[in-house]
Amino acid sequence: MALVSPTPSVYLAAYGCLTAFGNASATYAALCNGERALTLQPALGNRGGDAVPLALCRGRALDETAPPNWLPYVQELVTTLPAGDWGSPRRPVFVTSSNFGVGSLYAYRQTRERVHLDYGTPSSCVDWLRRELGWGENVSTFSHACVSAHLGFLQATRALHAGLADEALVFSFDFLSPFVAGGFNALKILNSEFPAPYENRASGSIGLGDGAAYAVLTRERSELQITAQALHNEMHHFTANQADGAGFAACIQQIMPAVGGRRLWAKGHGTGTLEAGRLEVAALEQAFPAAPLVSWKGSLGHTLGSCGAVELAIAAECLKGEYIPGTVGSHAPGFSATVAFDPLPGRAFDGVVCTSNAFGGAHAALLLSHE
Amino acid sequence: MPDPLISRLKRLIVEALKLEDVSPNDIPDNEPLIGAGLNLDSIDALELVVQLEKEFGIKISNSEESRTALASIEKLAAFIRQRADPARLPH
Repeated sequence: MALVSPTPSVYLAAYGCLTAFGNASATYAALCNGERALTLQPALGNRGGDAVPLALCRGRALDETAPPNWLPYVQELVTTLPAGDWGSPRRPVFVTSSNFGVGSLYAYRQTRERVHLDYGTPSSCVDWLRRELGWGENVSTFSHACVSAHLGFLQATRALHAGLADEALVFSFDFLSPFVAGGFNALKILNSEFPAPYENRASGSIGLGDGAAYAVLTRERSELQITAQALHNEMHHFTANQADGAGFAACIQQIMPAVGGRRLWAKGHGTGTLEAGRLEVAALEQAFPAAPLVSWKGSLGHTLGSCGAVELAIAAECLKGEYIPGTVGSHAPGFSATVAFDPLPGRAFDGVVCTSNAFGGAHAALLLSHE
Repeated sequence: MPDPLISRLKRLIVEALKLEDVSPNDIPDNEPLIGAGLNLDSIDALELVVQLEKEFGIKISNSEESRTALASIEKLAAFIRQRADPARLPH
């Protein structure tokens, strides 16, 4: 089942992100320096648990509070948004997340304190956030695991090209909680090892990170454009990918006609798992054999539903900057010779393919390039 | 006389995964538990690993280790014998 962008392009009028390193510029600089934000921390916060690689925003504790302790971080990020009446009829907001305030729901289950319920579901969480951030009523919520942000980009693009908006704000967030870290720890893919995306090693593992980001999309010309977007859902299994990687390829192929003569690099999903990593690398290598491939989740951790937006903001920094950070935390040999472990010279390229992949064979890709 | 650990593991698989139309005796000792054979998937594997950790007090730390352990009933029994406190094994 595939969805193709109904129009060839949309412009990136503004962007920003927040990770454990700070804003987009600080994150870009830290990645260029090869720094790893992930540190080993108890998966269950103050309740202990296995030490696992987590990258929390500076000064934030993993444990749940009411209201959630990540609100000030979101508020700080939002101060960098272009001023305006976000959430008004012509300036819609598309909020995306994978977990929203699910940690609050778990906190309620643990404590029976009803105050946590105000943030625990996607609708209650987004409604609370909308009020706290002063946005109007024109706020839509989308979620599809780790391709959530891409879903927001595509919906915003459609609204713009349908004439339903002058500008659209895609806002994505996923802050970790004991519930989320503990859940991934139970799945055995979050363990005591640091992730090494695309590295050919004996066992795979991921790290998790806090992440929030925004992208303001418009039809007005701007320095950077999202030239093409694609979503593809395999509908094969409720957690697993098709074993032959056909779903990865089917998604990427949709954006290939928009590439033209651009010299590309690829920012992959690259969480650090082996099976999905190999499928992803093979599909990208087949589609773009000359494009070096990087992942930043070995440093930032997987920021889950926000990863597409967080990494879009960093990719935008790369297109403006001198270097492209390599695959921090990984070492040769990789799954393919296309995997770039060290920083790349930014001026050698004029576009980037950004991909994200999610549980259940959901895939997303976009092409970000200079106008 | 059947190996008591292997018998216990077969019963545990049927019980933990609520397998219908499969009895412990239907589970072969040497066939893969995931994919072929019983046709279990990754979610079944996870449920099984959680049960094994509880029952035998072992730790399976990543999905590759879990795949190795679940290669067959015999491999699983060997894996558990290597790691579990002998007092927790059936006799």
